[in-house]
Amino acid sequence: MMSSFAYTLKRTQQMTLSVPVQASLLTGLCMLTLWTLFFSTYPPAHNTLHQARHQTLGVACH
Amino acid sequence: MKLMRWVGVVVAALATTTLLSLGSLTQAAQPTVTLTTEPPLAEVIPFQDPVRLILQAINGGGQPLADARLSLQLLTPPKTPWLTSDFPWVEGTTLLELGAIAPQGQVELEQVMPIRGTYTLNVQVEPLITNAFAPFSQSLSVRVPENPVKYRNVAILLAVLLVLGFAGGWVIGGRTSLEAGEIAPQRVRMLLSGAIVVAIAALLIVNFSARSASAHSEGHHTPLAIPTSRQGQQVTAQISGQTQATVGQLATQTVTLNPNIDPRPELLLNIRTLDLESHEPVFTYTGIAPADGQFTWRQQFFDGAPHQVVVEVLPPDQSNADFESFQIAQAIDVTGLEPPLSVRLITLSYFTLCFVLGLLAGLGTHRWRLQGVPHA
Repeated sequence: MMSSFAYTLKRTQQMTLSVPVQASLLTGLCMLTLWTLFFSTYPPAHNTLHQARHQTLGVACH
Repeated sequence: MKLMRWVGVVVAALATTTLLSLGSLTQAAQPTVTLTTEPPLAEVIPFQDPVRLILQAINGGGQPLADARLSLQLLTPPKTPWLTSDFPWVEGTTLLELGAIAPQGQVELEQVMPIRGTYTLNVQVEPLITNAFAPFSQSLSVRVPENPVKYRNVAILLAVLLVLGFAGGWVIGGRTSLEAGEIAPQRVRMLLSGAIVVAIAALLIVNFSARSASAHSEGHHTPLAIPTSRQGQQVTAQISGQTQATVGQLATQTVTLNPNIDPRPELLLNIRTLDLESHEPVFTYTGIAPADGQFTWRQQFFDGAPHQVVVEVLPPDQSNADFESFQIAQAIDVTGLEPPLSVRLITLSYFTLCFVLGLLAGLGTHRWRLQGVPHA
């Protein structure tokens, strides 16, 4: 008989590895990376990609 | 009777033609302002080289209007929140206000156009000599195209997002069942591991190169060593006005000249506004100082970087003034504003949508292929 903890662990693993959760995780990672590169006001990120931001349609710099 | 009808028709036609001619003559007699640009507007690239704007006031006969004063107001294109420009705070604002003396009815200035779109140039023309001609005003449109590099870059970015999304969807859409002793399907684990490695690498590159970039560029913001005033034997000059400016708002600058010779000569001013990040001019104007010696203009510093206004005072070609041209300057500290959050989120949603479309396509394609394969 499976213990309650093991059952919960297995359910968590199944849910985490389900297609919707995997797709959401991947999309979230993509959004985070895009935000850092193109939209973050963090000075080092802004300064490094200043030119790229000015040369990409739809990206506001200042 | 028939003859009378024909005569009536001919008379009516002649009268109509005469009225139309008179109407067009009256229209042609209106004074106007013509605008030419160098380079032509179709070749202008926003936020790059300055554009030379040449305004010429002409009378109804097509001759230049002499001894005129042209008051200029340059308005930026309206706001475009659904597809923002580089400078969203500059959209729908005033870029420049300037009053210029034009002995030959011509004013020339150079201005960097910060964003794409249709600018409005309002011109008001007044005579310097009372009642020399009737004052008039005119609105001109200046249409600046978008930088073509932006279209190419965004197309590359969207293609990359589409491919990445498709690849992710393909992997996720594959085998999802767990085998005995396996915590996660191998492909999913590999995908997540790869994505995390890429994200870490990207962030590391960004942070390391950002540190070196900011350290490298700090030394280039030093303004030119030029005083804000100068007291010469023939002319005393001073520049004053706002030393703090904010992106999206006009800042007032004034040059005050006091010639110590009689009669007062018509002194020339050569004004340049330099962006101290690049040391390139963003605005240039050469003109005659007003008779009272005070020249005031208002300009917007659209780039959130330190600037310096440099004014060169020159003697006119033929006058009693005989002095070497000299410069005065004032540094302007410009406060940059971060773009509105809504504008950034809108563009982020476009990019994310592209990625999600690729993801769904990858998922669907792999599922469809798996369904076509017979089970063992």
